[in-house]
Amino acid sequence: MIEFQNVSKTYPNGTHALHDVSLSIDKGEFVFIVGASGAGKSTFLKLIMHEETPTSGEIIINGNKLSKLRRRDVPYLRRHMGIVFQDFRLIEKMTVFDNVAFAMRAVGESTATIKKRVPYVLNLVGLKDKMKNKPNELSGGEQQRVSLARALVNNPEIIIADEPTGNVDPELSHEIIELLNEINSMGTTVLVVTHEHELVREFNQRVVTIDHGKVIGDTRSGRFATGASEDYDEDDYSIDYNEYREESGYTGEREYSDDEILESYEGLGYDDDVDEAGTAEDDAPQYPDNVVIVPDDDDRLG
Amino acid sequence: MKGFGYLVKEGFKNVWSNRIMSIASVCVLISCLILTGAAALFSINVAKMVDEVGESNETIVYIKEGYSQLEAVYVGKEIEKVPNVASARFYSKEEAFEQYRSTLGDSLFSRIEDRNPLPDSFIVVMHDLSQYDDTVAQIQKIEGVDPDTILNRKDFADKLTRISSLVTIFSIAVVSALLVISLFIIANTIRATMYSRRFEISIMKSVGATNSFVRMPFLVEGMVIGLISALIATGALALVYQGVGMVVENAQSMFDFIPYIDVLPYVAAAFTVFGVFVGFCGGFLSIRKYLKMEGNEILGW
Repeated sequence: MIEFQNVSKTYPNGTHALHDVSLSIDKGEFVFIVGASGAGKSTFLKLIMHEETPTSGEIIINGNKLSKLRRRDVPYLRRHMGIVFQDFRLIEKMTVFDNVAFAMRAVGESTATIKKRVPYVLNLVGLKDKMKNKPNELSGGEQQRVSLARALVNNPEIIIADEPTGNVDPELSHEIIELLNEINSMGTTVLVVTHEHELVREFNQRVVTIDHGKVIGDTRSGRFATGASEDYDEDDYSIDYNEYREESGYTGEREYSDDEILESYEGLGYDDDVDEAGTAEDDAPQYPDNVVIVPDDDDRLG
Repeated sequence: MKGFGYLVKEGFKNVWSNRIMSIASVCVLISCLILTGAAALFSINVAKMVDEVGESNETIVYIKEGYSQLEAVYVGKEIEKVPNVASARFYSKEEAFEQYRSTLGDSLFSRIEDRNPLPDSFIVVMHDLSQYDDTVAQIQKIEGVDPDTILNRKDFADKLTRISSLVTIFSIAVVSALLVISLFIIANTIRATMYSRRFEISIMKSVGATNSFVRMPFLVEGMVIGLISALIATGALALVYQGVGMVVENAQSMFDFIPYIDVLPYVAAAFTVFGVFVGFCGGFLSIRKYLKMEGNEILGW
């Protein structure tokens, strides 16, 4: 679903953000991306969202090379992704309902579809009763759930959460990741960028550790490489993900058939009439349906 | 396009939520439109005047002083012999005097009644106006014709045309300058709205809104500003035009201004097209920058 082939990114100011990163994330996976501030996690996410383009290497999403992506097709790529931000990015003057509906309006959904879909998704994140509240009337955890609902509402294949627990009380962090886990269990690929190691350990999922622009660890057991130190010894801390896969027989593929995934989406109350009517999108390349990326670090902090 | 209604509504909201800047834009655009309109109406009126004067195939030929009316009639016969002259009607100094008295009032003329200063004249009608100059030259050579006093309407028409084209050049310069200023002010107004909504723009882009979708409310904002300006300017120009028209008509009854009601549909249509176009361009120019940016760049983080 998401594949990085020898991707390097150097910013115009000379910062080497990523070095020769190769990585593959399959459909339906749940992946934590961990690493210290400035390790390259943000760049990683920006490359997936095509906010930045790699200096070298290739990124393939759902079989489409991003280097071949035309500028006007970028929005259609992003419709396959739902983004959850550390700072929630909710619009203060809008109600919870409108905040979630905003994402649907932005892609031209009909009012009828919005009215049906938004309450459903808010119910999913447990905020049906707060639909008419403004964001500042909600707790941090609730605001993040609104943000999650907004990421989910267009039924993306990937959810990308950028430090989703960064501004949330620790006890609620667990709840957020739990929610992402549930979403993942319905077939959506989930990427969570975080530096909260405790959380990562709890959830026993695939962990990709990035340090100094390199992937220094890729494990499946909730373990992560303790990078960021000069004397870091790769053999001690990391397991090569591909080796691991071979050894354990893990294929990276969940046991979902396409039909099952489709069913689970219908279960989300999503209207398929969009696809029928979306003739304008017919010429757009096909991208993953369910990627969610959760960023971990924020440039402002580092 | 699905969601079009929503985007249009957002555009109207933009105008209102940023009303101080919107009013500034509207005012500048109105001035621009009124000046453009006034210059255009002036040109049209001058053109009409030139047409009336230039296309009238009559000209007045004065007879030299000291010629009796009988002698004058003979001069008239000579004039009629000139090729291209269709007719030469004798217009006596008494007739001319009465004509002036009826237009300008009794009080002035009753005092000089016994010493009428006006000459006898002929009203000459020509067949072909394009030979005007030749014909006049021939008439001027006729004995008894006062060569200096032939009222050369062509000169008058030429003068008017020159003034008219000067006004046109001047107004094109002023209007282009104002056009640039309006565009700049509107673009800035919309940029201000955009800045206050940059957060929403960044979210729209992150959820996959197409550029045309992000752009639409701002184009609508510009066009609404243009439309409001056009409506107000159409009304305001009516007042200006009628005011000027009254002053001019009082001073000089010979010329009829084109009534505003005749030109109203054209003025309204031209203003609307012009205003909406300027607004559209303003919106288009100012959103360009934002469309190229991504994510946090939009927020300036």
